Amino acid sequence: MTRDTTAPAVRPAARAGTPAAAAVRAGAPRGAAARALGATKVHGSGGTAVRALDGVTVEVEAGRFTAIMGPSGSGKSTLMHCLAGLDRLTSGEVHLGEVELGSLSDAELTRLRREQIGFVFQSYNLIPTLSAIENITLPAALAGGRPDRAWLDRVVDAVGLRERLAHRPAELSGGQQQRVAVARALAGRPRIVFADEPTGNLDSRSGGEILAFLRQAVTGLGQTVVMVTHDPVAAGYADEVLFLADGRIVGRLREPTPESVLDHVKSLGE
Amino acid sequence: MIAITLKTLWARRRRLAGTCLAVLLGVAFLAGTLILGDTLRANFDTLFSSVTGGTSAVVRSATRVDPGPASPRGPVDAALAGRVRSVPGVAGVQPVVDGLGQIVGRDGTAVPTMGPPRATNWIADERLSPWRLAEGRAPRGPDEVVLNRGAARTGGLRVGDAATVLTPRPVRVRVVGLATFQGADAFGGSSYTGFSLDGARRHLARRPGEVSSILVTAAPGVSDADLAGRLRPLLPAGVEAITGAQQRDESISSVNQGFLDLFRSALLAFAGIALFVATFSIANTFAILTAQRTRESALLRALGASRRQVLASVVVEALAVGLVASAAGLAAGIGVASGLKALFVGFGFPFPVSGLEIQANSAALAVGVGLAVTLLAGLAPALRSSRVPPLAALREVAAERVTALRPRALAGAALTLAGVGALLAGALAGGGATLQLTTAGAVLTVAGVVALGAVVARPASRLLGAPLPRLRGVVGALARGNAMRNPRRTAGAAAALTVGVGVVVMLTVFTASLQASIRRSVADSFGGDLVVSSGGFVGGRLDPRLAAEAAKLPQVRQATGIGTFAALVGGTSQEVGTADPTGLAGVLDLDMAAGSIGGLGPRQLGVAEHVADAEGWRLGTPVPVRFADGASETFTVGAIWRGRGVVVGDYLLPRAAAAPHAVRDVDATVLVGLAPGVGLAAGKAAVERVAAAYGSPAVQDRQEYADAVTGSVDTLLTLVYVLLALAIVIALMGIANTLSLSVHERTRELGLLRAVGETRRQVRAMVRWESAIVALFGTTGGLALGVLLGWALVRATAADTALEAFSAPPLQLAAILAAGALAGVLAGLRPARRAARLDVLTAIAAE
Repeated sequence: MTRDTTAPAVRPAARAGTPAAAAVRAGAPRGAAARALGATKVHGSGGTAVRALDGVTVEVEAGRFTAIMGPSGSGKSTLMHCLAGLDRLTSGEVHLGEVELGSLSDAELTRLRREQIGFVFQSYNLIPTLSAIENITLPAALAGGRPDRAWLDRVVDAVGLRERLAHRPAELSGGQQQRVAVARALAGRPRIVFADEPTGNLDSRSGGEILAFLRQAVTGLGQTVVMVTHDPVAAGYADEVLFLADGRIVGRLREPTPESVLDHVKSLGE
Repeated sequence: MIAITLKTLWARRRRLAGTCLAVLLGVAFLAGTLILGDTLRANFDTLFSSVTGGTSAVVRSATRVDPGPASPRGPVDAALAGRVRSVPGVAGVQPVVDGLGQIVGRDGTAVPTMGPPRATNWIADERLSPWRLAEGRAPRGPDEVVLNRGAARTGGLRVGDAATVLTPRPVRVRVVGLATFQGADAFGGSSYTGFSLDGARRHLARRPGEVSSILVTAAPGVSDADLAGRLRPLLPAGVEAITGAQQRDESISSVNQGFLDLFRSALLAFAGIALFVATFSIANTFAILTAQRTRESALLRALGASRRQVLASVVVEALAVGLVASAAGLAAGIGVASGLKALFVGFGFPFPVSGLEIQANSAALAVGVGLAVTLLAGLAPALRSSRVPPLAALREVAAERVTALRPRALAGAALTLAGVGALLAGALAGGGATLQLTTAGAVLTVAGVVALGAVVARPASRLLGAPLPRLRGVVGALARGNAMRNPRRTAGAAAALTVGVGVVVMLTVFTASLQASIRRSVADSFGGDLVVSSGGFVGGRLDPRLAAEAAKLPQVRQATGIGTFAALVGGTSQEVGTADPTGLAGVLDLDMAAGSIGGLGPRQLGVAEHVADAEGWRLGTPVPVRFADGASETFTVGAIWRGRGVVVGDYLLPRAAAAPHAVRDVDATVLVGLAPGVGLAAGKAAVERVAAAYGSPAVQDRQEYADAVTGSVDTLLTLVYVLLALAIVIALMGIANTLSLSVHERTRELGLLRAVGETRRQVRAMVRWESAIVALFGTTGGLALGVLLGWALVRATAADTALEAFSAPPLQLAAILAAGALAGVLAGLRPARRAARLDVLTAIAAE
C-alpha cells in the first residue's frame, strides 16, 4: 500500500507547533486543535488503582493527521477519550480550542461533541434503524439544525457513497459502513475527528480506502484527524505519530512511513 | 446443569424482576380473592350461628316463591304461638314480626341504606337475637323503638328523640335505645328498627293476628330435631317447623349462593384476566431473555450440553421465577385480603371472625396457578432456545431471529376470520347457540389478533409514529425506528395491553349500550312526567298512599304506583309488577302486541312478548300464579307488550288481584302524569310536598329518572375499571420490562448516540416515545377488539336482557386511547431513565 501522493499540502501554521510542553504553556500556538496539560487518569482507587494516563502533555495540531500508537493498556484509547470529551481526567486539563473540557457539564460536553467533534469507532458505528444519509446527518439532526448542503455533498462524494445513501446499515458491506461513519464524522465540519481503530474490523483493501479518505479529509478538506491504531501501516498515513506506553508519551515521529513506524515500535520494545 | 442455571438466574435477577412482579401481582389478586372468600364464608358461618344460636326450632310458612336470600315468606297465624307453647319439651316461644322500617332522619329524609331497612320486634333473649342494647332501654310501649346505632347517628337521632319510621306507612315513634350487632353499628349497609312485640304487630304486620315466624327453644334434654318433630303434627297445612340448624344452613347457603359466589366469581374473573394478561408479559420477557442468550445456549451446546439439558435449564428458570413470584404473591395476597377485610369493617360490616381464614387448598391453588402461568409462558421460548445449533456460538448472531412472519400471518388471519365469523353468526343467528358461538368467536378472535400482532406491528408502528419525525425530529424518527425494528417484540409487549384494553372497552361498550337501552326504554314507554322512586332497592318501600295522595293534587292528571313482588308464575319464580291497569295506561306506553294494559281485567295477566313467545302463550292462555301467602290462582293472559325495560318488567298483575296476597303492600315507583298546562317545576314541587311526609323519596323528571337508573350502571362500571386497572398495570409493566431489556440490548447503540451528540434528555425522550408507540399500538388493537367483542356481547345477550341499543361512546373510547398512550409514556419513564444514565464510555465498550 502506498502513501497518497497529494499528502503534504498541510497548512504551514499547523507545522509551526512545537512538541515541547513548555512552549505549549508559554503561549498556545494558533495551530492547536486540542491540548492536554498534565493529563492524568486513574482507574479505580487504593491498591487496585491503575494510572492509565500519567501526566501527559501534548497538543494536536490543527489541519493535521495525528496517529496515536502504543501497546494494549498504554493509555492511547484513554487519551483519545479524554481529548474527545467522552471521559474525564483525574487531574490535569484538556482544551478543545479555547474550551477547557473539565469545567463542562454533561449537557455541555454532549453539545460540544455533536458540534465540534466527529467520531469513527472500530465497529458498531451506525444506528441500524436509520439510512446511510440519516446516519451521516444524525449529529446535525440531534442538534436540531440543518447540515451544510454543499459541504455534505463534498463529503458524500469524497467517500463515494452517493448511490447508497438510502440504504440501511444492514444492506451495506463493512467497508461501506465505515465510509458512512467517516462521512458522518466529517459532515458537521468538526474542529477535530477522532478515529478509534477505524480499520480494525476491515480487510486490508477496505481499510486502505478508509485511511485514504481520512488522509483526504485532512489534505483536501483541511480537517484535523486523530486516530488511535496499533497498525504501523495505518499509522503510515498520518503526518505525525505519538507513541504511548504506561500512560506516558514515549516518542513522536514526523512524516512516518510504515517502515519507520515499525522501526520505532521495535526500538521502544528494546 | 441446574446449579449453572440457578447461578445465571441469580446473576440476571434484575432483568427477571419485572417478570416476577407480573406473576406476583396476578397471584396476589387471586390469593387475596380466595382468602377473602374463605374468610367471608367463615364469617357468615359464625354470624349465622350466633344469630340463631339459641333457636331450637322455627315455625314458618312453607311456601317459597323466591329462592333469593332476602325474600320474605308469608305470615303464619299468631295463635299458633300459644299452641306451640303447650307442646311438651318447649321451653320458650318467641313470635317474630318482620317488616320494613325506613328510618327518617332529623332532616326529614329517609336514612339511606345499602341493604333492606329492616324493622322487627325487639327480642331481649340474647340466645335468639344478635342485637344488643348499647344505650337506653328496650321498647315497651307500641310507639317506642330501638334503632341500630349507625342509622341513628346518620339520621342525627338520639335516645329520647321523637322520630318517624316508614313501615312504609309513616309511624311516629320515640327512640328509647340504640343497638349494635356483634359490636358493629350496623349489619352491613342495612338499618334496624326494633319495636315492642305489640308495636310490631300493630305497625308491621299486614293483618292483626299474623306473625312472620315463631322461634322456639327446647327444654333441657330435648333435641332440636325431636322438638321440630313434635311440633309438626300440630301445624296447619302450609306451615312448617324446621330446626334452628336447618334455618342456619339455609341462611348460610343462600348467602353463599347469592352474594358470596357472585362476589367470588366476579373477583376471580378479574384475577383471571390479570393472570391472562400477565402470561403475555411473562412470555415476552422470556422470549427476549432467551433470544439475548442465544450465543450462551449455543456455547453450552458446543461444549456438550444436550438439547434436553438446554431445554431443562430454561424450564428450571421459569419454575424458579414462578415459584418465587407465586410465593411472594401469596404473601401479598394475604395483605390484599386483610386490607379488603379492613375496608369491609370500615363500612360497618360485622366481622366476628378475627384474622384471616387461609385454607391450604386456596393457597395451593394460587401458587399452582402462578407456577402454571409462568411455565406456560416460558415453554415456547424454552423450546426455541433448545433448538439453537451449536454453530450459532461461532457466528455473529443477531440477538433475535428474524424468521418469516408468513406462517404466523396465515394462522393469525385464519383464526381472526374464523373468530369474527363465529361472532357474526352468533350475533345475527340468535337462538340457543348464540352464547356458545359468541364465546368461541371471542376466544378465536383474541387468539387471532394476538397472532397477527407481530405481522402488523411494523406497519402499525410506522403509521402511529408517522407524526413523530416531524414533531420530534431525529429523536422521534429514532423512537419510531426502534418500535418498528423488532415487530415480534413490539407485538409481544403490546399484546398484554391489547387484551387488557380489549376487556375494558368491551365492558365500556356493553354498559354504554345498556344505558342507551335504558334511556330508550324510558323515552319510549314512559308517557308521564315525573317518577317518585324509592331508590334502586328491589321490592320498593313506598307507601301506596303516596300515589293516592299525589293523584288528588290539582296539578296531577294521573299518579300510579307500581310495586313488584315475587311469585311462582307457571311454576317458576318471577318478579311480577303490580299496578292499577287503568291508571298505568295513562302514564305508560308499552307498544302493545295484543290486548291492552288499560283493559286488563281483575283475573288477567300482562306479559312481555318475548316471554309469551318463549312460553307459547297467547291472549286467553290460562297461567297459574302462586303467591307468597300460599294462595294459588289462575289468570288468563290479557295483554302482551313489545316494549321492554326498566319501567315494567316482564309480568304485570292488577293490584286488586295481587295486593291481598303480597307479603308487603308497597310501591317501588310512582309514575306521575301532570295535568295539562302545569309546568314541570310546579308539578314537581307539588309532588315533593306530598312526598315529604313519606321520608322525601326522590321526585325525578324523565331525564333525572333515566340518569338515576343509568347512574347505578356507571357505579358498577367504575368498580369494574378499578378491578381491571390491575390487568392494565401488569400490561404496562410488561411494556416497561420489554423496553428495559431492549435498552440493555442496545447499550452499544445508545453509547454511540451519546458519543455523536445525543443529550441525556434526548435519550429519555427517545425511549419514552418508543414506549408511547408500543402502548398506542396495544391500545388501538384493544380498542378495535373491544368494540367488536362488545358488539357481539350486546347482540348475544340482547335476547335475555333489555338490550336494544348498541352504543360505542366516542368520548370514552377516545379517553381510553389517550390514557393508553399516556400510560405508555409513564411505562417508559424508568427504562428511559436507565438508558439516559448509561455511561458513554462503558456503553461503547459493551459487548
